[in-house]
Amino acid sequence: MKKLAEEVGLQLTNIADKYPDISVLDGDLADSDGAFYFADAYPERFLMSGISEQNMISMAAGMASTGKRPFAFSFAAFLCYRAYDQIRVSICQTKMPVTLVGSHAGGLAGRNGKTHTAVNDMAVMLTLPDMQVWAPADNDDVTYMLSQIMSYSEPAYIRASRAPIGEQHALGGRPSELRWVFPKRKINIVSCGIASQWSKQVIEQLHLQGCDIGLLHCLHVNQVEQLQDELADSEQLIVIEDHCKLGGLASLIQMLDIKAHISGFGWPISFCGKSGDDEQLREAYGLSQEQLVKAIIKLHFTNIKSASSKIVEQV
Amino acid sequence: MAEKVNMMNLSTQSNPTQSLHDEAHELRKEILEVLYQTGGGHYGGCLSVIDLLLTLYRTQIKCNPTFATHPDRDRLILSKGHAALALYAVLKKLNFHQVPLDQYADFDSPLEGHPDMTALAGIDFSTGSLGQGLSAALGMAYSLPKQVNIWTILGDGECQEGQVWEAAMLAGNMKTSNLKAVVDNNRFQEWGWAEIDDQIPPPVSNFRDKWQAFGWHVIECDGHNFDELIQAFQTMVEIQDKPVVLIANTIKGKGVPLIEKSPKQFHCNQVDQDEHTRIMQEYRS
Repeated sequence: MKKLAEEVGLQLTNIADKYPDISVLDGDLADSDGAFYFADAYPERFLMSGISEQNMISMAAGMASTGKRPFAFSFAAFLCYRAYDQIRVSICQTKMPVTLVGSHAGGLAGRNGKTHTAVNDMAVMLTLPDMQVWAPADNDDVTYMLSQIMSYSEPAYIRASRAPIGEQHALGGRPSELRWVFPKRKINIVSCGIASQWSKQVIEQLHLQGCDIGLLHCLHVNQVEQLQDELADSEQLIVIEDHCKLGGLASLIQMLDIKAHISGFGWPISFCGKSGDDEQLREAYGLSQEQLVKAIIKLHFTNIKSASSKIVEQV
Repeated sequence: MAEKVNMMNLSTQSNPTQSLHDEAHELRKEILEVLYQTGGGHYGGCLSVIDLLLTLYRTQIKCNPTFATHPDRDRLILSKGHAALALYAVLKKLNFHQVPLDQYADFDSPLEGHPDMTALAGIDFSTGSLGQGLSAALGMAYSLPKQVNIWTILGDGECQEGQVWEAAMLAGNMKTSNLKAVVDNNRFQEWGWAEIDDQIPPPVSNFRDKWQAFGWHVIECDGHNFDELIQAFQTMVEIQDKPVVLIANTIKGKGVPLIEKSPKQFHCNQVDQDEHTRIMQEYRS
């Protein structure tokens, strides 16, 4: 199993011969953010640009202006926050095809704690012009995502969680911008990134209790028109995200012209990150599998409340 | 990285019919008129940088207005993007565009308030948020063949941005010799530090030493003396072992005593008709 950013680094290395313009920059975290695969295989196309994310981002933009396809690796927090103005001006306003690979995205940064979390990264990136936000959940997503990114010429941000992902985590189905992991129903969960792994586990539990519910995984989060089409006939939507409740996927879906009632599960606005194991953190903020199952049953399946209590007991 | 350079159709855009002095005089006048007509702007910085821009394009930068995006052209990034009008005036003179300068910063004009590479041919990179141009230039210099020179003009006040020194450190470490920085060293910024012992401190102290400490070759000259500028730029091109910076000592508002005397007021200013008349009288005299 590997962190998702490591999978990005590995797969990027695997396609580097096909795309000779790919270059990788890294802010001195290559062994933690996955860039080391590329550094080892293509040292002449790899630049350790120092612990200086602002320079790295503007530099990547300058490289892109000459025809290169730079991928800039770091932790999501240091890309999105430390270098936000550089992303805004040097990349988005110029429409440069720079891809940002942000590892440790979301609220689960392990023992690193609050400084290394990025709980509102989608909020700040989705609101930049032309920035394409990708939130992979499994290795198949990474393959599909990289082929898509290389097929167009736009700024992109990959939010990659720190949690290890292996073949056993394949969501199932065919990777796409939006993927129905469980078929569409009247009540559907919508999620992205690592939260789609959470959601899948939650639904597997719910199905055992007779709760009929679908799961839409959003790999390419900006797909507003597609989202509109996919969710138009839903009656209830439950958004689960490893992101601040405000400004992420739930906020995006609330902008859609759809009739469904929307409820959201994510980090509270007051959450600024914290050291701890993933499960400890999720439980502390109502995002553990058991808590989500219980909450969804309470909200949407009141007729099987007795089943809800059974689930909690089992867990 | 890529090593082959196709110089076909690329050359410096010299002007055999007009001296640099006369051309600069003409462009300064145009800038003053346009700034008055369009409601004001960066008088001081445009007038301090114009000689640098003009001399660079006329004597060093290999480009071609007909093939503005030629991949092997030299690049120029005006990192101090608030002097955009000076760049627009030079690019127009070089036939990169024919947009009337009085459209500067108008709605839907390609002459954006700050240089916009997506809007106007000849703009090699967008700037305006200070401190980013040197990094973008470094990215270009790193990616392009060493024969392609990447020039960037920074303000001395801009050099207070930490990002400038991030880029300077990496360029020094990598010995990026096709990176050529020019500092419009007019010694003033918008508000500036308070006086100490009746002296206004420069925007960045020990400026020359700092660049040297970051591994750069440093040259200094009078930024309004065309002979010195031509020589300095030629020396910069000949330096091939490390990045080079020219500290061009300039005067904010150069050419108009009223503006030169009030650099703070004219960093970004709007003038009334009487002031404009006085400015133009002073300029002609």
